[in-house]
Amino acid sequence: MLILDCPNCGARNTQEFRYGGEYNPRPAEPDAADDAAWSSYLYMRHNRLGLQKEWWYHRAGCGLWFLAERDTGSDKVSRTYFWSREQIP
Amino acid sequence: MTEAVSADKMRRAAPAGQLIDHERSFIFTFDGKPVTAHPGDTIGSALARAGVQILSRSFKYHRPRGLRCCAGHCPNCLVQVGDEPNVRACLRAAQQDMVVEAQNAWPSLRRDALSLTALGDRFLPVGFYYKTFIRPRALWPAYEWVLRHAAGLGRVNADTAPATYDKQYLHADVAVVGGGPAGLSAALAAAQQGARVLLFDENGELGGHTRYKEIDRTAFGRDWGLEINDMQSPIPNLDIYTNTTVLGYYPHNYLAAVRGNRLFKIRAASVVVATGAYEQPLLFANNDLPGIMLGSGVQRLLHLYGVLPGSTAVVVTVNDDGWQVAHDLWRAGATVSAVVDLRSAAPTSQAAAFKEALEGAGARVFLDSTIVAAAGKGAVQEAIIAARGVRGGPTDGGSTRLPCDLIAVSGGWAAANELLYEAGAQIAYHESQGEFLPHALPPGIYAAGRVTGSHSLQSQIKEGREAGSAAAAYCATGKVQENFAHAGERREESAPSVEQDAHHSAIVTDGNGYENVRQGKRFVCFCEDVTDKDVRTAIAEGYRSIELLKRYSTISMGPCQGKMCSVNAILLCAHANGWSVAETGTTTARPPAKPVSLGVLAGQQMEPVKVTPVHDWHRQHGARMMVAGIWLRPEHYGDPTAEVQAVRQRVGLIDVSTLGKFRLTGPDAPQLLERLYVNRWQKLSPGRVRYGLMCNDEGVVLDDGVTACLEPQEYYMTTTSSGAEAVYEWIQWWAQSGWGDGVHVTPVSDVYAAFNLAGPQSRAVLSRLTPDDLSNDHFPYMHVRQMQIAGVPCRVLRIGFTGELSYEIHCPAGYGQFLWEALLEAGADHGISPFGVEAQRILRLEKAHIIVGQDTDALSDPFAAGLAWAVKLDKPAFLGRRSLARVSEQGPALRLAGFKMENGAPPPAEGLQIVQPEGDGALQIIGHVTSSRYSPTLQEAIGLCWLPAAMVVDGQPFTIRLDDGRLVQARVHEGAFYDPKGEKLRT
Repeated sequence: MLILDCPNCGARNTQEFRYGGEYNPRPAEPDAADDAAWSSYLYMRHNRLGLQKEWWYHRAGCGLWFLAERDTGSDKVSRTYFWSREQIP
Repeated sequence: MTEAVSADKMRRAAPAGQLIDHERSFIFTFDGKPVTAHPGDTIGSALARAGVQILSRSFKYHRPRGLRCCAGHCPNCLVQVGDEPNVRACLRAAQQDMVVEAQNAWPSLRRDALSLTALGDRFLPVGFYYKTFIRPRALWPAYEWVLRHAAGLGRVNADTAPATYDKQYLHADVAVVGGGPAGLSAALAAAQQGARVLLFDENGELGGHTRYKEIDRTAFGRDWGLEINDMQSPIPNLDIYTNTTVLGYYPHNYLAAVRGNRLFKIRAASVVVATGAYEQPLLFANNDLPGIMLGSGVQRLLHLYGVLPGSTAVVVTVNDDGWQVAHDLWRAGATVSAVVDLRSAAPTSQAAAFKEALEGAGARVFLDSTIVAAAGKGAVQEAIIAARGVRGGPTDGGSTRLPCDLIAVSGGWAAANELLYEAGAQIAYHESQGEFLPHALPPGIYAAGRVTGSHSLQSQIKEGREAGSAAAAYCATGKVQENFAHAGERREESAPSVEQDAHHSAIVTDGNGYENVRQGKRFVCFCEDVTDKDVRTAIAEGYRSIELLKRYSTISMGPCQGKMCSVNAILLCAHANGWSVAETGTTTARPPAKPVSLGVLAGQQMEPVKVTPVHDWHRQHGARMMVAGIWLRPEHYGDPTAEVQAVRQRVGLIDVSTLGKFRLTGPDAPQLLERLYVNRWQKLSPGRVRYGLMCNDEGVVLDDGVTACLEPQEYYMTTTSSGAEAVYEWIQWWAQSGWGDGVHVTPVSDVYAAFNLAGPQSRAVLSRLTPDDLSNDHFPYMHVRQMQIAGVPCRVLRIGFTGELSYEIHCPAGYGQFLWEALLEAGADHGISPFGVEAQRILRLEKAHIIVGQDTDALSDPFAAGLAWAVKLDKPAFLGRRSLARVSEQGPALRLAGFKMENGAPPPAEGLQIVQPEGDGALQIIGHVTSSRYSPTLQEAIGLCWLPAAMVVDGQPFTIRLDDGRLVQARVHEGAFYDPKGEKLRT
């Protein structure tokens, strides 16, 4: 079981968290997205081997959705942090 | 011959056995016959002392099998103990009156009917799962009967009282796995540096292989740690867990271990793996006969339990260990008729002294020789020995037949590296040692001892100390010491050793040139009865990769999980393919590394549920409770049909405290609602209630519920009971990533109790408890009011899932039971009835109201689900809009529709398929039933189902296939079944 550093609560076992998937920002103007771009947002994931930016939710804790950068090969979590507007591409 | 051997065995004095209390004894039974055991005995050691050689029948061919490793590594001694199947007899302590039975044997262990499969093994070729028992299809019932009787090991008694299993969490700076010389040294070194250390060993005492091998301990002084058994835990920061098996390594240094019925979950800052090695068997004809044991297994029986497993022994070895085994046997009183060393040179150092002593005692020594076959009926009676030829196999020359009742095989060692694999260590085949050894370890993981290929006590202790010290330093600093190199990293490659060469040759030669003694199977995998011929056949059939070979032949997939066969299978695979061992690679190691009972993993039988504030009342009033999601809810109070009738004709009361409830406040609350729901919110004025439908960006329905506007900046949102948690997480996700400005979302699901008072007389009942004007003009449908009911401050929503005039009353949870009882009391004159989930399901189905998650699934959009009216595509930017715009253009392929059964048929089970006969008479599946009930109001069976959109026309007939294959008819019904215009809600 992984240990995650919740930006609010600190290091906790992952059973307290819900995994929220790859960071996959919603297109700012959905109506402007063509079908390919929209279906890519809906259905396509990178499934990276290596460093991945991903969502986690501290379900049995403070209720924070935060971002983590995790190496999917080694499970080493290099960074966890709050979402901010700078995350919007 | 056999008689004489037995008599000879009886004469000899038993060796001591360090674990055995010879002063006392007790009786247990094996297959109904009494067996004498001493305190300290395992089932296996007591049976061996009693001369019982056959402990089990093998999985596929039902061949007799006896003790082999005496360490819990091989499958040979799996027995049934009472109701518990697959107990390793060599590990389980014998107890008075224990009832032990053989497995996989019928009618008896000695005369097993299915051993006839040995004659017909052309029906069980390698990969038989994929080849035989398939055609002709009509014979499958017969095949199934045969296979069901042949398959599986042991017997499960479904009536066994559940045992108690529990879990314990442990935390440490350093966790050391394995309490042999390396592990002990590591634990002591780490503890001396102040680390909190946990030491785990699967045996009853620490010491590892030094427990059963005679070792010159004084050479290393007192401090190396074997005396720890006598130390009574003298070190406060070192906790020792014996009889505790580590099952697996999980990310971030999380270990699972089991002791008895307890599962340990261990988090450690660093882990030292000192798991040792498994001694390996060799390949020769009939290498599975009872009486053929691993050298280390013989030593365990001798030194731990004082059992001499045979009187006339042949020892076959690829290394110096076998010479010590032979010497131990001789000293214990056995006749060692021969030592067969596959190496060409005579042993040196200590083994040379053993050789001299053994030769003095009359043992024959065969150097550069191998064992070709064993022979015997039921147990080994002869070993057939020959000189090794050019390719390492037997030469064309003569063989020597040696009578014996024990063959001890020292076939070399395979590192017990499962945990290292799981931890992500880089492990490679070292030609020089013939072992898979770690050469790079992740930070915080350390290895020491035999698992790194160190076979001398001195190096094991040294490595242990270094690893323990480095692990403690890693905990203190979080850094790997720069100058620390693991033993595996330091190990230099060199030419294959003679031991490796000897072991390899014994595995990969196929006995060519020795036809006259090749009678018999050569087993690679004892669990699944896979022979070297099977392996070669599988490779010839194209399963060349080791991973495919494993899956096809099932080699290494049995109870031992490769401990006895993995290395040998890799060697065979490499040889047959003409690959190097490195090219061949290994299969993936996954937890559990050792067998574990499912009860341990399941833990206590605890399924936490939430209960409502009225729970006690429900229980006291005959409610039949059901688990609904995380909640315990009343399914009914005895008669759901009567409950439905009460609501339709008079008045009923249901506890809906389980609904999800959220308070949204702030100037931008309406904006958040607009984004979350597909329908419109901006114009919802204070005092009004609206149904809301929530979709994700795919346009799939997530949840529904009603939301009330209490004040201009205050909303009260309700969700389905089952969706409450997911909806909250969903809202939080969007609110915390850019949509949360100007709005607070507070979860209040458990803060409020909620009841639905439903039925034509609900207004009359409610008006008894409140002075407020409840008239239709003053408090109309889809409105919300704050009022005092029986003196309790309440929020009342005039909505109706049931289709009747109804009031959903929310009050602070602490008043819940008081208000519930007050409502029932006020309704007594009106014939009020509490109703449960079942009545509500019928009531809503009569109204054709959907339940999200039952009538919809992960592909259901609002257009298909008949909720198009709720979707406001002309409002901007809500979740699902982009996809729903597209769906609305194309129209749904399937639609949710109501139906009635024809000809008075009963309701079909939910989930049944809707079919359409095709030209050739075959049935095509075109839809399925999602809800169905008998409607007491309509007095016929009704339901909801998914159908091709073109068929959703009122009156359209269709066919449902029942479980037994019968076809029944139904007709589409559009709209609600009851009160289709919804007039009763609004009265």
